[in-house]
Formats: sequence, C-alpha cells, structure tokens
Amino acid sequence: MHSESPEDRDALREKIIGLGETSLHKSYYPELQSRLAELERFRALLDQTYDAIFLIRADTGKLADINASARQYLGYSREELLAKPFIDLISPQQKAWLVEFVQKSGDQLSKPGQTFTAPLVSRSGTEIPMEITVRSVTFGAEQYVVAVARDITDRIRTERELRIKESALESSTNGILIADLTGAVMYANRSCAAMFGYERADAIAGRNLEAFFADPTVGEKVTVHLLANPAIVQETVGLRSNGSPFHIQISGSVVQNDAGQPLCIMLIVMDITDRILNEQMKRETYAQLGKNIEQFAILGDHIRNPLQVIVGYAEMIDDPFAKRILEQARRIDDLVAELDRGWVESANVRQFLRRHGEGVEPSEEVFFHFSNRKQEDI
Amino acid sequence: MIQRSQLDLRKFVVPEFICGHGALQLAGRYARNFGMKQVLLVTDPGVRAAGWAGAVGESLVEAGVSFTVFDSISVNPRSRQVMAGMETYLAEECNGIVAVGGGSPMDCAKGIGIASSNMRDIRTFEGVDRVPVPAPPLICIPTTAGSSADVSQFAIITDEERKRKIGIVSKAVVPDISLLDPEPLTTMSRDLTVDSGIDTLSHAVETYVSNASSPMTDVHALEAIRLITSTLPAVLEEPDNLNLRFSTLLASLHAGLAFSNASVGAAHAMAHSLGGAYDLVHGRCNALLLEHVMAANYEAEPERYNRIGAIIGRGGATPAEKVAAFRRALGVTETLAAVGVREDAIPALAEAAYNDPCMVTNPRNFTCEDIERIYMYAF
Ligand SMILES: [Fe+2]
Repeated sequence: MHSESPEDRDALREKIIGLGETSLHKSYYPELQSRLAELERFRALLDQTYDAIFLIRADTGKLADINASARQYLGYSREELLAKPFIDLISPQQKAWLVEFVQKSGDQLSKPGQTFTAPLVSRSGTEIPMEITVRSVTFGAEQYVVAVARDITDRIRTERELRIKESALESSTNGILIADLTGAVMYANRSCAAMFGYERADAIAGRNLEAFFADPTVGEKVTVHLLANPAIVQETVGLRSNGSPFHIQISGSVVQNDAGQPLCIMLIVMDITDRILNEQMKRETYAQLGKNIEQFAILGDHIRNPLQVIVGYAEMIDDPFAKRILEQARRIDDLVAELDRGWVESANVRQFLRRHGEGVEPSEEVFFHFSNRKQEDI
Repeated sequence: MIQRSQLDLRKFVVPEFICGHGALQLAGRYARNFGMKQVLLVTDPGVRAAGWAGAVGESLVEAGVSFTVFDSISVNPRSRQVMAGMETYLAEECNGIVAVGGGSPMDCAKGIGIASSNMRDIRTFEGVDRVPVPAPPLICIPTTAGSSADVSQFAIITDEERKRKIGIVSKAVVPDISLLDPEPLTTMSRDLTVDSGIDTLSHAVETYVSNASSPMTDVHALEAIRLITSTLPAVLEEPDNLNLRFSTLLASLHAGLAFSNASVGAAHAMAHSLGGAYDLVHGRCNALLLEHVMAANYEAEPERYNRIGAIIGRGGATPAEKVAAFRRALGVTETLAAVGVREDAIPALAEAAYNDPCMVTNPRNFTCEDIERIYMYAF
C-alpha cells in the first residue's frame, strides 16, 4: 500500500466514492438474466427433439409444460394445451385403458421406462400413433408425471410393409433361401422346404448351404462369387434331405445395407428336373431323326445298284416288254434322283438335328454357367 | 388529525443516485452492469430534439448495449402510451429501461416496466402496493428539476378514457439508479424551469407538513425549500449557469427523497385531479393551488408552516402569502378560470381529489366541500 502511485490512490478513491467500473449495489438481475438465458437455451434444446414432451401435474392431470414438438404434432397453441388435462389428448378408445394403466402401475411410475402405445388426437381430430414413456418426478414439493411421446406412424407402416414382403417371400412358388455370408441358412420359405424334402421350413435354418447341393463345394463357390459380383444364375444338382439328387436352377444375389455393405445372400431355387428330362428326350428324338434321314440317303444308293442291273438286262432283251421295263426303271431312277435332291436340300435341317441331337454334351456336366460371361467363354 | 411522535415507525427508501457534471455519460456503464442487452430508451420528442436522448444513446452504444427509442409520450403520459411502450418493449425483446426526460417520460417508463413484467394493463395497478412482479431495471436521467420521479415510488398516469390521473404508489417503481447531471437542465424553457421549480417547492412543503413525515424526511424537505427558493429566481436570470442549475437539481433531489418516503398532501391530490381533467402542466397546477392549501392546512401544523415561512423569508405575513409572492415574482399570475377550468366542474374535481392517495397524508382531513372551497379560492 505504501508504494502506491498517485494514480492508484485516485482510482481507489473513485471506487470508495462508488464510481468504480464495478462499484455496484446488490442486484440479482444480471444473474437472473444469465440463468434465464440458460433456461431458454435448454428449452431450445428440448424443442429440437422430435419427441413430444409433456409435463403433467400429478394432482390435476393438467399440463404444466410442453415442448415445441408437442405443439406441432397436436396443432394446439401453448396456451390451449396448458389449459388441458393430458388425458383429453388420448384417443377416446384408449382413455379407460390408460386410466387403468396409471392406477395399476402407480408405484412403478417412479421407475424409468413405463411405456405404452396409444394414439394422441390432434386439434383437427387426426389420431397419431405414439409410443409414450411415462415417469413420475418431483420438482420442489410438486408431483408431476413426465410423458415422452414418440410418433410411431413410420414404424407401424414399415412393420406392415415388412409383413407383406415376408408373406410374399413365404408364399412364393420358387424356393427362397437366405444365408449369412458364411453360408449358414437364416431363412427358407415353404416352397424351398418342400422342394428339398423337409417337413418344416424352420428345419432348414442353421444348416450350411453345402447340405443342399450334390457337390458340397457349390454353396461356398456361390457365396465367394457373390461377394465379388452382384448376381449369379446357375444350373446344378440339388440334394434332397433323403439324399436323392434333382436338377435345380439357382439365381443368387447379395442383400446390402444402405452403406452398400453385404448383409446376406439370397438364392431363388427352381426345380428344373422336368425341363432337363424334356431336353434329354428332345435331343434323343433329333438324333434319331438325323439317323433316319441318313439311312434314307443310303437307301437310294442301295436301290440304284440293282436298278442298274435291271436296266442292263432289259436293254439286252429284244422284247416289246423290255421297253416297258426300262420305262419303269427310269421312273424309279427319277424317284431316287428326287430323293437325292431332297437330301441336298435338307442340309440345313440335318445340320440343326446334328447340333441338337448329337452335337453338344449333356448340360449337367457343365457346372458353372456364369450369368455375366459370354456364351463362347464356356 | 394524526398525532405524531419522533418514535413513530418510519421507513426510508433511497435509490442509488450519482450526481454531478457528466453523470449522464455513465448510463451505458450502468446499463451494461445491470445485464441490459437491449434497452428501451424512453424519452419525449422535446428532449430528443434537445439532443439528450442522443447523448445517452451514444453512451449505451459505447458500452456495447443496443437500444430502441420510444418517444411517443405527451405531457401527462396516457395509459395508452404506456401500453404502446410495453408492446415495443416486448416486441424488441428488451431487458431494461433507460428514461431520459422530465416527469412524463420517467413515469411512463415506470409504467412500461411494471406493465411488461406483470403483463397487465397499467390501469390495474392504481393504488398503493399493487405491483406483484417488480419491473426490469430502470435507469433515470432527469432533464428537469422538479418531478423527482427518478427517486420516487410514485408514477402518475392519465387514464384517458375516464379523463383522470391514476396514482401508482409502490416500492416496485423506484428506479434502480438516477444519474443527476445539471447539463440537460440548460435546455429547459423558462416556463418549464418555473413550473418544475414550483413542483419542487410543493413537494418539499407538502412533505414537511405530511402526517407521514419523519426526522429523516424533515432534513431533506427543509433543505429543498431553502435551495429552491434561493436559486430559482437566479436560474431564470442565468439559465446556462451550471452551478445554479445544479442547485435546483439538488433541491429537487432533496424534495424527492423526502416526498417519496412521506408522501405529499392536498395540493398534489387536487393538482392530479385538475391535470387529469384539463391536461394542464402538473407544476403549473401546483403553483396555482399550493398557497391556498397552505392557508387551509395552517391550523393543523402552525409551527411547521412558520418554519417554512421563516426559510422563504420576505414576501408576506403568512407562509401562504410568502409562497404567493414567490410565484408571482416568477411570473405565475393566472387563476384556475384563466387556464380554462369551469366553475361547474369543481365538485367533480374535488371528489376526484378526495379519493387521491396523496390526500391520506395531508395534515388535515378535508371533506369534499373543504376541497371545493380551496379550488374556489384559486378560481
Ligand atoms: Fe409533483
């Protein structure tokens, strides 16, 4: 204090007089202002949430406070809402039930997470399905119930859509298999179970894909392929639960999440045994037809030789009938020439028959037939 | 009549005030320290034109405080003006009020404060102690030396529908700080200087004889009488003399501290009634009534009145005559009839005055007829 400069003493004197920058009399106002600002900030925070929040007086059931979402969902002004009992916002059909719920769970209300679903009724009469969590709280000496209502319109719609999709999958005449990325089956529909000879669809879940193919490596190959490619279409041999093989075509694809990451794979399985048998029969028929045409051509040559002999003899005989014989022999030769011409003209048909009758090998020996490859790659 | 003793219970409320040259410039600092972010600057067109509202605005800006000016205020502020001010206060999201001007802007500012904190019509606060929620902080910078609204617990608002003044008396309307700077007084007209000076004298005289007076209010009342009677005539000669102006400001402050705690009497009750009905300047109403009320009250407090007479000194035999001589010397020579009051209106004026809260502290209990008679003396 002794070393104070004259300026310091002047400043001190000013403060003693009460003229210092912070020479203030007691006032809570600035503090009140900052607390109010804090409260407003907190309210703004509550107003940001999509959940509708209701503070209900426990004694009267009337609303003591609400956030912005509550106003927006219900279309009432703040003042209108604060004059209402909360129960009036609940759909009439649910009212009695709610009263019972509150009475029944009286003591439970102080614990978190007492949740029920009930529609709230907006000013215009629209019912909004809500999941409502209630909890009793005490502020000062006042008892309140806080209700946080979440709009579950979207959830209900999604659930319904999911159910439709599920039953579509279930009732599909194609077999549908869903497996995780390790090949473990998570789901199989009824058709799939029937196709593979299982009594119940849930008997399939948990098995690995390898159990469903004559060649146990097919399942893994399909999975590996699908992790690098979007889809696969392949014919192969399936294996029933009793061990009997049958022809199937599988169309596989990868199910991805929104971020594009693979979640699981889905295989659509068709029993193609009938088609395969038909094809086999067709091939045999064509081969037979080709063979018959060929034999027919050889037959012409076979006829020509004895005919040549007959013509030779007939020319040596001087008899009025010889002329007749030659005449008939020429007719036969013309008929054979006609057949020869037909043979030449049937080249395309024979080529077709060759190709489908005896050309390519049976398809069950070609295991992989990738949908994204060209025909000539095989 | 109420018997008084110095042992009677009394309360003395004094708001914070800073007086001296340059006090006006502290408006910004105090606004900021009160936590004001958006201020409603309440003033009137005259004060604004004289530049004092602008000077206070500059101080606010320097302190980083935003403000909105509200100056739709007349002499004898109306309830509708108060409500319009409240709308502005709320619309601009203000959180404090600074009043610059005479009694009208300051009373209006008090009204805006309580109307907005209570969200009620200003007329519902009429009477004593009827303000439940305190007003936001109020900083007053008086530009006249007379009303003392900057330190008082009174706000007088005119109910324009019923053409009468309502008195709001509450500790909740006492300003938080008054910045008493003599400089703004230099732009007052001669008439305004006289009217506000006589208002000061009326406050001091009526408080000194008030049945609610106390040793504390006596000191201030007597000093106010001494200061105003000795300096007012001189100020009229030298309107730019800051020392003289400051003395009138001090006189007004002393009178304000006194009357805010002990209240006034019949002259004010009758002036309120008159001003409400005829929209007359408050100080002028007092000037025309004070001597007649003093004469009518004299018998109730002869010693106190004699003391007042002794301080005023020359001018007449009785204290009332001395006050009459004083106002005539200042050029106030008219009568109630001359300012437009009709004789047949006097019973109604008397009845309104009878019901005014100021009448409660008058040293004599007047009947309506008594009051009518006093009006007639001034007629
Ligand atoms: Fe006054």
